[in-house]
Amino acid sequence: MSSHTRIACVMVGLPARGKTYIAQKVCRYLKWLGVSTKVFNVGNYRRKLHGSNQTHSFFDPNNVLGEIARKQAAIEALEDMIKWFLKENGTVALFDATNSTRDRRNFILEYCKKYEIQVIFIESICQDENIILENIMDVKLCSPDYKDMDPEKAAEDFRARISHYEQAYEPITESDLTYIKLINVGSQVVINMIQGYLQSRIVFYLMNLHIIPRNIFFSRHGESVYNLMGKIGGDSDLSPRGKKYAFALPKLIKDNLGDQPLTVWTSTMRRTIQTSEYLPYPKLQWKALDELDASSCDGMTYEEIEKKYPEDYANRDEDKFNYRYRGGESYRDVVSRLEPVIMELERQQNILIIGHQAILRCIYGYFQNLSQDDLPYVKIPLHTVIKLTPKAYNCEEVRYKVDIDAVDTHRPKPLKQKVNGGVNSEINQC
Amino acid sequence: MAAQLYKTESGHLFHAGRIAVITVGLPARGKTHVAYSLCRYLRWLGVSTKVFSVGNYRRVLMGAAASLPPDFFSPGNQESAELRHNIAVGCLNDLIKWLSEEGQIGIFDASNTTEERRKEAHDTLVSHGIQPVFIESICDKKEIIESNIRSVKITSPDYIGWDPEEAVKDYWTRINNHTGFYQPITDMSLSFVKMINVGDRIIVNNVKGYLQSRIIFYLMNLHISSRIIYFARSGESYNEISRKADAALSPSGKQYAYRLKNFILSLREKEKKERREQGWGDDERTLTIWTSTRQHAVQTGKPFEEEGYVVQQRASMGELNLGFVDGLTVEEIKKKFPEEYEKQQEDRYHHRYPMAESYLDLAVRLEATILELEHEKNDVLIIAHETVLKCLYAYLFDRPEDEIPGIVIPRNYLIEIIPSAYGCRETRMEIVDDSFPVLSKLKNLAHTS
Repeated sequence: MSSHTRIACVMVGLPARGKTYIAQKVCRYLKWLGVSTKVFNVGNYRRKLHGSNQTHSFFDPNNVLGEIARKQAAIEALEDMIKWFLKENGTVALFDATNSTRDRRNFILEYCKKYEIQVIFIESICQDENIILENIMDVKLCSPDYKDMDPEKAAEDFRARISHYEQAYEPITESDLTYIKLINVGSQVVINMIQGYLQSRIVFYLMNLHIIPRNIFFSRHGESVYNLMGKIGGDSDLSPRGKKYAFALPKLIKDNLGDQPLTVWTSTMRRTIQTSEYLPYPKLQWKALDELDASSCDGMTYEEIEKKYPEDYANRDEDKFNYRYRGGESYRDVVSRLEPVIMELERQQNILIIGHQAILRCIYGYFQNLSQDDLPYVKIPLHTVIKLTPKAYNCEEVRYKVDIDAVDTHRPKPLKQKVNGGVNSEINQC
Repeated sequence: MAAQLYKTESGHLFHAGRIAVITVGLPARGKTHVAYSLCRYLRWLGVSTKVFSVGNYRRVLMGAAASLPPDFFSPGNQESAELRHNIAVGCLNDLIKWLSEEGQIGIFDASNTTEERRKEAHDTLVSHGIQPVFIESICDKKEIIESNIRSVKITSPDYIGWDPEEAVKDYWTRINNHTGFYQPITDMSLSFVKMINVGDRIIVNNVKGYLQSRIIFYLMNLHISSRIIYFARSGESYNEISRKADAALSPSGKQYAYRLKNFILSLREKEKKERREQGWGDDERTLTIWTSTRQHAVQTGKPFEEEGYVVQQRASMGELNLGFVDGLTVEEIKKKFPEEYEKQQEDRYHHRYPMAESYLDLAVRLEATILELEHEKNDVLIIAHETVLKCLYAYLFDRPEDEIPGIVIPRNYLIEIIPSAYGCRETRMEIVDDSFPVLSKLKNLAHTS
């Protein structure tokens, strides 16, 4: 893609149509792929400027002062977005607001044109009352706008706010605009005048999202013979303790899921396949889930690597995400080969992945929005199941440690760098 | 993110099932173009894919259009309609047979313009455990249809030996015969994609599945308007064997750059004139130049920039990274890395020297470029290193991956590639300078400096 691509994804739609959800997801996905991306949420600007305890009448299109105040918030968010493109070399911005009138959309379009920013509108249309209601209950009532309000009153106020927007709402019909319309969470999609690869990539991602509740389980393979010897890579069998873990796994999953359906994904390596042996679910093997290829270091201990390739070893700690083993792979390489796995995970429902340390770090990093600095150091211990439950703006996480001993294969990050907690710390709400 | 990474030996992606892509639309709406382009792309992704074209079956069984009665294609002609239906059923059965034996995606290239015909195909496929996806091409711009007829149909085997104007007229009759019977897709329970005016707008309904969404991703970038892609290698640099050196063009490399510019501009002028004489009218396609960000390529594009052409640099188009063997001659590699050299000889596509990229890595890196190339409507000249051109060439010409390292893209040759419905056509031209007096001046300059 050309070096100066700048794309503003402008959300369009009534409140409680999942706009913020979509914006956050696209942001997390692109950042994970290494594209510089940021969300600009007009709701946050509005609260900063005008306080968070406005009632629905503030959003009435006939309320002239309210209208001016809301436009002011939009302009501030736009200006910050432009600044970010120009000064911080941003590539994709998500402009998260209702943008439900032609006027407002034209205003944004003209503004972006001046700075050669491509605009793609993402309109979310939802006619399913249940989905809307769920969204209001799940998300809106915990928003800062309704912090200290009685939930029923809040719901009532929010419905009134929606109906104000409905009065003025003009769905996108302008045939010369670049847009994607997602109707009823992707059951129908209209794609108009998409320009360039990155835009089509975003659209492709959007088409794969769903909002059906589900769980994603991760487990590393049981302890392997190589783990015991302190060697990396290889294709060794499970150790006796590893086999015990494989035996214990079905009960843990069953206790958690009950009779819900599940699909198990493993790599093509013996230690993950053996770990899945007793699980009574459909299983798939993915080549893309094979462990990071350490190539010339495969089968060596960290001490041996340090001795044989002292420079490489030091380099790796300097920038672990980008370090590529001689002839092998870096974490960055792994992220790009896992992209199809992520896309498929977005499309699936309950999944258990039995994988490898580096692989699970990358997948976990995607769901928990980790930076490239922190991702290669996440603790994914042996004999532990991690359960992630995707929620509107982040994932809930529970870890189950199985009471079977295993060696610790985690090498902490050298101390000179700071370590961050991980979980998405900046959540925007409208 | 190229899916080549998860290619399997059988060409089956285990989790994706078997899929039939069914084209829908009036004649000359680019169905065949879409079918063959999609097939090429899916094969590039490592998915076993094949086109089953009813037109080809009909030609084999009945002979070319010229030998058929004029109302053969009219759905109103009951006798021929039944005949054509039987041919289509035979073709679809072959597709089903192929999918149940070896393939993963079969593309059924036919007009399928009626609700009844689509329902029949849909039910047959579902009963065989195959997921049908319809791709409907809708086009209401007469100029697109006309251009499609001229570029595809009258060169088709149906019209060999015809006067072009007669062929165009005959083809319009064929279209008009169909038009009255055409029912666009309205059944919302079907999985379908509607492409309106060659990708201006796309409507996607009820499409689920990994490969299906991949197909839509590709269709978003595809267009069928005519255009030309040129490949040229970058000029000779001061250091031809080291990537790290990122060397500038040598004097002869610079000469080559001007020669290339003059050659291609006069070639375009000539071809434009020919098109005008053939009654094509002027098309307003401009020439855009893509180079990598490497010195040799950027400088080869320089003369175009001086003439006011748009030259875009793409970092992902840099040459194969040779890692530890960068800057070494083959003899030196043999001496220093004998084992690696042997491994490389065994599998030149997948092998990576220490810290280097394999051709596979390069192909993966180029996927974005490939989709952008599909997207581009203007003519494009790609100036790049031979390794990059090999991969792009393999994509455009549907060549298997193990052939890629052996593809030859000689310097001093311009490769002109014209994408068409059934695949790409290429012409290779030596970039001569005798006919350009401007160049002798340049030569002198180079000698004296």
